[in-house]
Amino acid sequence: MRGSASWWKPLGALGLVGLSLLPAWGATQRPYEGVTLTVITQSPPYIAKPVQMFGPAWERRTGGRINLVTTPFGELYQRIMSGFTLGAGGFDVLIFASAWMGDFAGNRYLLDITERVRADRGLQWDDILPTYQQTVNWGGRLYGLPVDGDVHLVYYRRDVLSNPRHRQEFQRRFGRELRPPQTWVEYREIAEFFQGTDWAGDGRRRYGVLEAFRRGGQAFWFFMSHAAPYVCPPGLKGCLFFDPDTMRPQINNPGFVRALEEWTRLVRLGPPGMINFDSGDVRSQFAAGVAVLAKDWGDTGIVGSTDPKSVVKGRVGTVVLPGSLEVYNYRTRSWTRLSRPNVAPYLAFGGWVCGVAATTRHPSAAYDFCRTLASPQNSYVAVTTSETGFNPFRASHFRNLEGWRRFGFVEPDLSSYLTAIERSLSHPNAQLDLKLPGQARYLDALETQLARAAAGQATPQQALDAAAAEWERITNELGRDRQRRLYRAWLGLPE
Amino acid sequence: MPGWGSQSEPKPPCPPVEAGTGANLGRVAPQDARPRTADGNAFVLPAVVFLLLFTVFPFLFTVALSFSRVSLVGGLQLSFVGLANWERLVSDARFWTSLANTAALVAGAVSLEVVLGFGLALLVHTTPKGAGLFRVLFLIPMSLTPIAVGYMWRMLLNETIGPLNALLRAVGLPPVGWVSAGLVPLFSMILVDVWQWTPFVFVVCLAALQALPDEVVEAAELDGASRGQLLRYVVLPWMVPTLVAAGFLRAVEAFKIVDTIFIVTGGGPGTRTESLTLHAYYVGLHAFDLAYGATIALALFLLVGGAAWAALGLTRRVRLREAWP
Repeated sequence: MRGSASWWKPLGALGLVGLSLLPAWGATQRPYEGVTLTVITQSPPYIAKPVQMFGPAWERRTGGRINLVTTPFGELYQRIMSGFTLGAGGFDVLIFASAWMGDFAGNRYLLDITERVRADRGLQWDDILPTYQQTVNWGGRLYGLPVDGDVHLVYYRRDVLSNPRHRQEFQRRFGRELRPPQTWVEYREIAEFFQGTDWAGDGRRRYGVLEAFRRGGQAFWFFMSHAAPYVCPPGLKGCLFFDPDTMRPQINNPGFVRALEEWTRLVRLGPPGMINFDSGDVRSQFAAGVAVLAKDWGDTGIVGSTDPKSVVKGRVGTVVLPGSLEVYNYRTRSWTRLSRPNVAPYLAFGGWVCGVAATTRHPSAAYDFCRTLASPQNSYVAVTTSETGFNPFRASHFRNLEGWRRFGFVEPDLSSYLTAIERSLSHPNAQLDLKLPGQARYLDALETQLARAAAGQATPQQALDAAAAEWERITNELGRDRQRRLYRAWLGLPE
Repeated sequence: MPGWGSQSEPKPPCPPVEAGTGANLGRVAPQDARPRTADGNAFVLPAVVFLLLFTVFPFLFTVALSFSRVSLVGGLQLSFVGLANWERLVSDARFWTSLANTAALVAGAVSLEVVLGFGLALLVHTTPKGAGLFRVLFLIPMSLTPIAVGYMWRMLLNETIGPLNALLRAVGLPPVGWVSAGLVPLFSMILVDVWQWTPFVFVVCLAALQALPDEVVEAAELDGASRGQLLRYVVLPWMVPTLVAAGFLRAVEAFKIVDTIFIVTGGGPGTRTESLTLHAYYVGLHAFDLAYGATIALALFLLVGGAAWAALGLTRRVRLREAWP
């Protein structure tokens, strides 16, 4: 008996050691067992869909659980803010508009993840386009991961603009070639030319252009896209929003007034009721073949080229936002006339980002979930899947075309689409969206006045003067010095 | 008889009341009442706590916000600014525009609802055939959520692909700018409100008509009253308090209109259909200017409260006139 005991004891001990190591092995395999992350973002499908797509796999890999909380876009900001300010949110992960970074990071509601990002090789940070790296940067530190790339583009019907009959008639009327618009004036003239005519040749009257004028329906960004080339000569910092020295609003300077005059003329060059259109209307109506031109984020290209109900598939061209042959310099207070258009692609909205709440009890798990969404592999799947709302933001998204083709894109739509986005993002005069505490208030004040100008309740000058006065009041209320310091930091200017 | 004791020794059914003055009774009563009051308080307490938490506290907090500046840096912080928000309200053109829009909407919608609701109720009351079916049909709009109604009307009023304009085109009429042309969007919003809430007035009026005593109508008919005279001298006087009450309730509700406008027009074009509540929503919860949003909400409360007080006074006067013509 003694002899037999001598061999099983060490074996038993080894077994016990092995058993004791099992939980550790399990923990390594499923590091967030028992952890529940509350993720808040916009109501499905857009933006919430990637969480639904990749959440289950993350749960299986980590042992954690995802509790997805969604709310309509119009209420998302206030839901998150009220959660932060009243301490009642209980959110661990937030997928939000990068434009709100000033309010969230500026008020220290988000976790600084700079060191985690630096140590994370699998994330391939350098693959993320520098423009979008900036969207999560606040005061030189990183407060989130980009999961979406946003830039405004102009879409046109290639079949219509290349129609010899239309080209001939356009040449006769305007004395120049009918081509994809290179300036906003050309854009308006093309819209005027086609407005209310049977340009498709099917006996139905159709329209010139599709834009979103509805307050609360992204009108702020649609106007800013239009204004950027009128007010932003290359290299002039603070051209779009405030003078970085004084924090005086720029939005009522002559460049903006000219842009608003031009923009409001478009109200009559689209379908009836376009004054109440939001970006969703732009997408659906363009895919329905209602207009020749449209301005929108990357989504119109996706809906137009991949939606089964789209009647414009294979006929959609995409270009960088048109420019202007005159540009106003707020420093010299003078106009400059140009022989070539001044182009200033506007990164409207700036994309969605994934951030970790400063109050989370599970910072590692929350970061891990964000990086799951932002990873090269998953983000590629997201940007090439319908209704995710995510658009390309990594260099690799433009290189691998296979996923785009599977998505439903056909040539030459695909090349045109990706080239326009890439050119916009790499343009030296690309303009970032406002990222400052109180961004939502500035936006609402301007959007209200834009709506009044579009409805004819105020002239462009009156509307923009009223908006500027409101911006002054907001800046004073939030603290001019603090706002100036943060605005300069965002522009990369010294204090 | 077992169990009831001897009849020769009757026992009093109640404890004997002490002989004496009312002072004795007075001393006994509070002793009985005290525990009952304590029990009652305990039962009422949850309701009081609920009211304090969900009604009184939010109201007082709104009042405090209207005299404050809100900072969100490091959590919610209030600093007293006196009447600054109220001064801003008085000079805010958008507030006055939204007030005018709301007043126009309430006046237009409620008056139409009262007239149509009463008319429909009369029709159904005097036409017994199929009345049950009509009653159900008329109730459908009222039972829908405002958001569903908003989306339905947004589609109906769509100027490009909506059925209303398609119908107009089909009969050779020009399409209407339901949500874009001048003052038409405000009328569109009145139309939506009338569609949804006329059934409420209809139900109230129908109930009042059914409560009208047959003897009164028969007496009038025996006296040779025509249908017009019956309506003018019997039905209308009977209905006036009901109509005022229904109109009053609808007006209070219509003052708070926000959801359908938000969906159908978003307050546009421009600010042409923006109601006070929508304005407060945009300011308070869209731009997150909590203090000024609270000020607008409080102003709305005062306005509705004032209107309600005036309407109640009017109703009382009408009732008095009915009682003593």
